[in-house]
Amino acid sequence: MRTRTSGRTGAVLGAVAITTAFALSGCAAGGDTAKSDGTKGNVTMSFLTFETPNLTAKYWDDAIARASAKVPGVTIKKLVAPSADRVAYAKQLAASGQLPDIMIAVSPNGFAQAGQLAPWTDAELTEFIAPHSNPIGGKVYQLPYNTQPTPLVYYNKSDFAAAGITAPPKTYAELLDAGAKLKAKGINPFVVGGGGKDTWADMFPLIGAVATDTYKQTPDWLSQKAAGKTKFTDPAFTKAAAKVADLAKSGYIDTAGLSRAYTDVEQAFRDNKGAMYPMGSWFAASADAQKPGFDVGVFPWPSDDGSLVVPAYTGGGMSVSAKAPKVDLAKKWALAFMLDKTSLDNSVKTDGSIIALKNYTPPPGMGPVYTATAELYRQAVEQNAIVDAFSIETGDGSMPAGLPDKAAAGVADLITGRKNADQFASFLDQEWAKANR
Amino acid sequence: MNATRTSPRSSSWFRPLAATFVTGVFFLPLYVVLVNVFKPGSEITPHPVGVPIPPSFTSIHEVLTRSDHLFWYGLINSVEVTAISITVLTVVSAMLGHYLARSTGRWAKGALAIMLCGLMIPSTVILQPVTEVLRSLGLMNTIPGLVLANIGYYVPFGVFVFMGFVKTIPLELEEAAALDGAGRFRIFWSVVFPLLRPASASVLVFLGVWIWNDFLNPLIILGPANGTTVTVGIYRAIGEHQSDFGTVFALMFLATLPILVFYLAFQKHFVKGLTGGATKG
Amino acid sequence: MSATLARPAGAGPSKAGPGPSKTGRGTRPPRGGRRVTKALHFLTFGAPGMIVYLLLVLVPIAMTVRAGFTNRNPANPPTHWVGLRNYRDLLHDPAFTGALRNTLIVTVIVTVAANVLGLFIAQLLDRSGWLYNALRSVFFTPVVLSSVVVSVMWQAILSDDGLLASALRGLGVEDPPGWLSDPDLALYSVAFIITWQVLGFCVVVYLAGLAAVSTELLEAAEMDGAGRLSRFRHVTWPMLAPAVTINTVMLLITGFKTYDQIQVITNGGPGSGTTSTIAFEVVQTTFTGNHIGYGSAMATLMLMIIAAISVVALRFLQRREVTQ
Repeated sequence: MRTRTSGRTGAVLGAVAITTAFALSGCAAGGDTAKSDGTKGNVTMSFLTFETPNLTAKYWDDAIARASAKVPGVTIKKLVAPSADRVAYAKQLAASGQLPDIMIAVSPNGFAQAGQLAPWTDAELTEFIAPHSNPIGGKVYQLPYNTQPTPLVYYNKSDFAAAGITAPPKTYAELLDAGAKLKAKGINPFVVGGGGKDTWADMFPLIGAVATDTYKQTPDWLSQKAAGKTKFTDPAFTKAAAKVADLAKSGYIDTAGLSRAYTDVEQAFRDNKGAMYPMGSWFAASADAQKPGFDVGVFPWPSDDGSLVVPAYTGGGMSVSAKAPKVDLAKKWALAFMLDKTSLDNSVKTDGSIIALKNYTPPPGMGPVYTATAELYRQAVEQNAIVDAFSIETGDGSMPAGLPDKAAAGVADLITGRKNADQFASFLDQEWAKANR
Repeated sequence: MNATRTSPRSSSWFRPLAATFVTGVFFLPLYVVLVNVFKPGSEITPHPVGVPIPPSFTSIHEVLTRSDHLFWYGLINSVEVTAISITVLTVVSAMLGHYLARSTGRWAKGALAIMLCGLMIPSTVILQPVTEVLRSLGLMNTIPGLVLANIGYYVPFGVFVFMGFVKTIPLELEEAAALDGAGRFRIFWSVVFPLLRPASASVLVFLGVWIWNDFLNPLIILGPANGTTVTVGIYRAIGEHQSDFGTVFALMFLATLPILVFYLAFQKHFVKGLTGGATKG
Repeated sequence: MSATLARPAGAGPSKAGPGPSKTGRGTRPPRGGRRVTKALHFLTFGAPGMIVYLLLVLVPIAMTVRAGFTNRNPANPPTHWVGLRNYRDLLHDPAFTGALRNTLIVTVIVTVAANVLGLFIAQLLDRSGWLYNALRSVFFTPVVLSSVVVSVMWQAILSDDGLLASALRGLGVEDPPGWLSDPDLALYSVAFIITWQVLGFCVVVYLAGLAAVSTELLEAAEMDGAGRLSRFRHVTWPMLAPAVTINTVMLLITGFKTYDQIQVITNGGPGSGTTSTIAFEVVQTTFTGNHIGYGSAMATLMLMIIAAISVVALRFLQRREVTQ
């Protein structure tokens, strides 16, 4: 009978050990306890942010605190995407059933179609200049609070002077000429990224070329593609792709960029590893805040005939999950966050945002690069020269979810010469078909 | 490691020199990280391999005092997850390993084969459904959930190691204890388990290292809401400060230190455990 | 360990022998309610581990297999059965075939390189004394490091602005290779990084194997006039067989699972899928691309390949056990 007793003791011991282990683990994980302060009646909602050299942890914390002060009853739990590619991370979270309640600058494409997001109503959008930007199924899922010209070409004025380039190129031929002159002086013409986690950072030359060579002629080209009326293999698109391939072939795009993550690319431009840096307007803020060792100028990606074309994207704001504990409250908080004057000013100062809100004036004393950027954008609006930024669109008729990543990978192939323009185009057609499976 | 020989015939200077040289080359990348932990960020790019004299603790200090407590919260989570997982895993897989080693039935062999297949399965391949299972158990985004996923995933390894060792323990020993009237639990805990110590150490160290260093499972299962582990914390930090190697290296150093100490503490048993496996037959 | 060595070859107590399983039961002391005790034994010893394994490995596998026959995609409802369509598509999908190819290349390189280098270094370090102990510890350190740490470290070294490139430029090399940016090189760089990380494991296993090689036998062979090479071939090598098996199995597994390094260092690039592995492709397709159905089919194919390899490996291991 000793047998049974000891057997039972063992079982009990084992059970106790396991129970204890799980009870111990019940003590919430580190990082959680601190914030659930137990304020009565407060709803805790998660908010997905991302950090970049411009948008630091402090930037988000302060903005969150200001919005929460305006909307009582909300406790915000900040989530930080593990890389600047917050869309991929949001996808991972959604696929594992933990879509955050509120997200900023996450393309609603894919989420909205799956019914995961709550649409914004017209009443909620009255403050916005372009309330119907990038609709999905006719509804807006992301607050269109700012406009980002993407890309503009930021350039190193000292390098241009050294190569004897007196004025920024106006036509594409002049751009090629500038490239040749720089190269002759031993200066690498273009800094383009795309390494590590940030494959997307290699897209900018192509976005520029598609704007001047495809969208300028046919502004809704991509919607037509989505509707099956056009193909990437059409000359309207391959011409743009061929431009990027040719730039790389001429040695104007340094392949070293393909091992540089986003923050490293910016550093490379600052370290004078190339004269031109095609990048979104947010670089303007960074260039002003931390001036490189040279003057930075800016010009739009030139078209063949020299007419002005500026690709831009309006959106970038908040989306709210349809499954948020209190959707209305989440929306209220998101709007409070978006419309907070201090936050908007900070967004302008740190991220070079061009705010798309009525009754908003940017803070005084902005730096020269931002001023030049904003002026370029103003001219483009005046001349009706704004087109969509290829692959960044999020509304109806934009690329299916996941395709922008494939496009970025394909651009790397264009740059290394593994694919020519035609191969790249048919690759995109194939991937589009796959993505819609 | 005790049976290493000293051969009188090999020339006395060539081997130590060659061994040191080869090890030095191998060590170089680690050296680069190590010295740069103790340099201020601005010193790294101009002098990547210089010895930091005097050492600077700015990077380490910066990591320890981050306003979002990335390191400390991560440390708490990592310790909790790793400690609970490996304790439960050792007990569970020792018992299961013993059970399967002593079972001769056809189905037990089948169960064993299915288990060993688990050794080869990449966790990435089943991660998505694992999250669904955990959600239906209400354990998604919790530490018990991550622990459970770890147990399921690593139990084949534990069983594999323990089975090998159980087979080396003469059945007669257990039979004698049974004749004395001891029950299965008592036999197992007082006769078998003590003999499995090298295997236990081996399992503890290997799984401790693997679970501590795991990256995708905590990233997804623990999710963003409950903080991260230190390893996920590193992944997060590289996005922010790629250009500031000082703090990234310091975070890597601090995140590795606990598991390195743990490994060193168990190293002796661990080598013994491996030795058993490597020489059996 | 002594128990292991003392055991006469081929007399493992686990081998139930050719007799029917009843013999095994018969050796146990007779007890009342055998069925009940057996059930109790299973419930206490066998069940806990098996249930968790069932729930968190086998059930997910079943779910994966099932989803592989659907077009499940949360962004593109509704979900319905598509039969074998996913599998047909996979065979013609360069993203998958490329990932399979990359995975095999990495696995083969890592398995061969780490085995060969590991054995060589183990031979070199197979001496006693503080120096060799210290050197061994150095080799084992990377095994203890997280692959995230190792990846970040090597990225800092191998990127185009990295430490190696600057060092080479300092030595007058105009255009150092883009270890991670050249699509023809990146995969091999990743394989190299993984090899570096697992090398220590092989070294320790081979050292343990070498330690068990009988000194007497070696000396006897030397007396008989056997040369260095011949001694290795006829005495050391056969004794190392278990170590080779352990290392090979371990390395095959490591190679097949390659994910972290890709995620951290290359993100599958440079370019489309030049370094993507199956594990990486599965995560990309299921999580980022939303194609749970298609990704599951990919995962299922991978599991089938793994099962095939496991069966072969098990057969091989069993035969080895019989012949020894």
